[in-house]
Amino acid sequence: MPVEIGRIDRELKRLWVENGGVKTRASLVNLAVYSEAPDSLPINTQIISKITENHACRAIVIGANPGAKENRVEAWVTAHCHVSQSGNKQVCCEQLSFLLEGPCTRLLPNIVFSHLDSDLPFYLWWQGEFHDSMDPQLWAWVDRVIYDSQRWSDFCAQMERVETAQAEGKQRILLCDLNWTRLVQFRLAIAQFFDPAPARARFEEIKTVEIDFGAGYRSTALLLSGWLASQLKWKVEGRTRDNKLTFRSESGTAISVSLQERGETPISRCTLKCNGMEFRVLNPEDSDLLHVTAAAPGQTPPPQLMPAGSNDPAQLMEEELMGVGRHRVYLRAMNCVRDLL
Amino acid sequence: MSKTSDTQKANPLREGLATRTVPQACSVVIFGATGDLTMRKLIPALYNLAADGELPPAVTVIGFARRPKTDDEFRKEQGESTRKFSRQTVRDEVWNSFAQALFYHQSEFHDAAGYKSLAERLDKIDQERGTGGNRLFYLAVAPDQFEPIIKNLKEAGLNKAREGSWARVIVEKPFGTDLASARELNAVVHTAFAEDQTYRIDHFLGKETAQNILVLRFANAIFEPLWNSHYIDHVQITAAETLGVEGRAGYYEGAGALRDMVQNHLLQLLCLVTMEAPTDLSADAIRDEKVKVVRSLRRIPCEKVAENVIRGQYAEGAINGQAAPGYRAEKNVNPNSQTETFVALRLFVDSWRWANVPFFVRVGKRLPKSGTEISVHFKKAPQVLFNKEMSALDQNVLVIRIQPDEGISLRMQAKMPGTSFRIEPVKMDFHYGTSFGKASPEAYERLLLDATSGDATLFARRDEVEEAWAFIDPIEEAWASKEEPPKLFEYPAGSWGPDAADEFLARDGRAWRRL
Repeated sequence: MPVEIGRIDRELKRLWVENGGVKTRASLVNLAVYSEAPDSLPINTQIISKITENHACRAIVIGANPGAKENRVEAWVTAHCHVSQSGNKQVCCEQLSFLLEGPCTRLLPNIVFSHLDSDLPFYLWWQGEFHDSMDPQLWAWVDRVIYDSQRWSDFCAQMERVETAQAEGKQRILLCDLNWTRLVQFRLAIAQFFDPAPARARFEEIKTVEIDFGAGYRSTALLLSGWLASQLKWKVEGRTRDNKLTFRSESGTAISVSLQERGETPISRCTLKCNGMEFRVLNPEDSDLLHVTAAAPGQTPPPQLMPAGSNDPAQLMEEELMGVGRHRVYLRAMNCVRDLL
Repeated sequence: MSKTSDTQKANPLREGLATRTVPQACSVVIFGATGDLTMRKLIPALYNLAADGELPPAVTVIGFARRPKTDDEFRKEQGESTRKFSRQTVRDEVWNSFAQALFYHQSEFHDAAGYKSLAERLDKIDQERGTGGNRLFYLAVAPDQFEPIIKNLKEAGLNKAREGSWARVIVEKPFGTDLASARELNAVVHTAFAEDQTYRIDHFLGKETAQNILVLRFANAIFEPLWNSHYIDHVQITAAETLGVEGRAGYYEGAGALRDMVQNHLLQLLCLVTMEAPTDLSADAIRDEKVKVVRSLRRIPCEKVAENVIRGQYAEGAINGQAAPGYRAEKNVNPNSQTETFVALRLFVDSWRWANVPFFVRVGKRLPKSGTEISVHFKKAPQVLFNKEMSALDQNVLVIRIQPDEGISLRMQAKMPGTSFRIEPVKMDFHYGTSFGKASPEAYERLLLDATSGDATLFARRDEVEEAWAFIDPIEEAWASKEEPPKLFEYPAGSWGPDAADEFLARDGRAWRRL
């Protein structure tokens, strides 16, 4: 429903009054989505519709074109309704959509902040690249900034902007990289190999790590290497051509990490090779299950099947929203391979 | 929850991951493998854990039961029931992988040879599947089978783990029928398994909302200062069922509502509501606080039972417009049965915090609506300001709904719009299902995962169980008395229990909360 910006609150109220209390409004978080891609509004509306099935939120979807000469501001209100788990209730979430063109895009913080649901955390999902000069006011109330570094052309420059924003925030801003979220299921599958205490003796025996990544996902593979290196306290020794990295463990063992581009899946294989043992996680093309095995080289025991997750933006966001927001590990992993990203 | 479980000692790759540490591989031996509990709850729970990647692939399930059956027949049967009862849709690919870890072992429970061959089979499984000598024995059988099973497990040496491995036993309720039998059962279990190997299951504690009681109380600063006799008038705990005995008459006739529900589930909920903050989240710190509550329960001597406990039995009536027979007309029920299907109690926790705050607990079958909830009724505000006579509806009430429609609501007073000062109660309501789309794991998933991880927090300890029976026994004794036992009231199926239960609260100017 298109609305005048100044009448958004009134229209929202009307939206709920008109349905006669049959529907339940739910919100646990303010989720603002910002994109400068053409036609992003309908795409992001679909994503929000999926997200709200499991994560009740007030969504503020902004499609911006700062390069336009003429000012244009339009707004809509939408409700995403789903039948609740118990099956007897329509649970609805509000979405406010804004189309901003021209110099008025500078008013973004002003628009966003005036429509936040009070007392709920504020997550800002910034799609695409951060600008050179970001309005510090924007970061004033952000609790989490969500981005996807896989799409960045210059990781270091972008990261500096994020870190500047973090420093300018009035509160602690959590950095949530969807490129890191992509790795959750792989990290779980690898971590579980080493849950039994005796298996942790194998950390010292790891000599080779092989990671296969899909076209465009080298940064994802680097983050996975960075995670292993930072958590196992390996020091970066150097890199050679052909995506080969070398690390050294605390006890002095040399570890070779090789990254290979293969297929389309973001990460299709990660193998950790030790003395007489291989820990292997495979994500076969077109499968939503990881095939997980720990075996002597050459042996192929039946794999354990684990959820592989999805590269779909809505599902990545859902995974991120389920996360507990502890991003120390991400920062360590990212800093470990920062200059390689 | 516990800090002391097996595998949580720093796997650096676990840091920051939201899911918990995968437990060590083990063999899970289920006694009573062809029973209802196994088909409806245990195997679906294990499947869901495996499908979510929460169990290591080597985890192996051995069904132990009397009927002859092959491994494949057992897998097929369990596959069919899991498809029916699983929380998440069963995927063939995942089931086929999981089913390879299912085996069947046929034996009578009292046949020593069956346990010898079980031990051999488990050793072979350890070698072939890498279960590392870890064994979890699940007694999903009637209590009269505990003794032969435990005795035979001991004789076969299955109660002792090899060095670096573990052996644990999960015992299903009912854990005894009175204090003497509970002590006897504990003694039987402890001939073979030490207390830290014994996991007494109470599936209420595996429910998310039961666990959330501690979070509500101790992670929110606003409630704890009010959580005492200065501000709380009384507390009600209700567990209502529309169902009757549904084929459980054989068991229920000997148990009744008090033993079936109050001694375990409802006293556990009472403990969570009334306990002091534990020193930490370890299993024993939490259970230490819970056992203090049970010890502080004011005992009801036989002569005071009629004043403090109302028992009832459903008669013919209707549920949702459908005729429902009376309890005595149910199959396998004695036509002169004195078994209670409803019980309401007034309890007091004799502690500094809860001095003279009554706790009203009721449980019943064939009530108009199914639901389990705890309602905390706060004292009324002073009447000096609004010149309004306060009614029961004017109390603030915090309701914790355990099932169904899990959530929390708070009733408070608000001014009605208008020029006059009209005050009406309004409700702030939080529903898990509305706010969190993702379904919670089943209680049995959580409890099985905890047991395989060595976390006993959500299981009842020996002293908790025995103290609870010590509280219940005088009531049962009074009811069993030949000289003027307290009356067993009838109530029509589909009503909220006998009138005496309403009068019970009305005496003090209170009323049951309407669910």
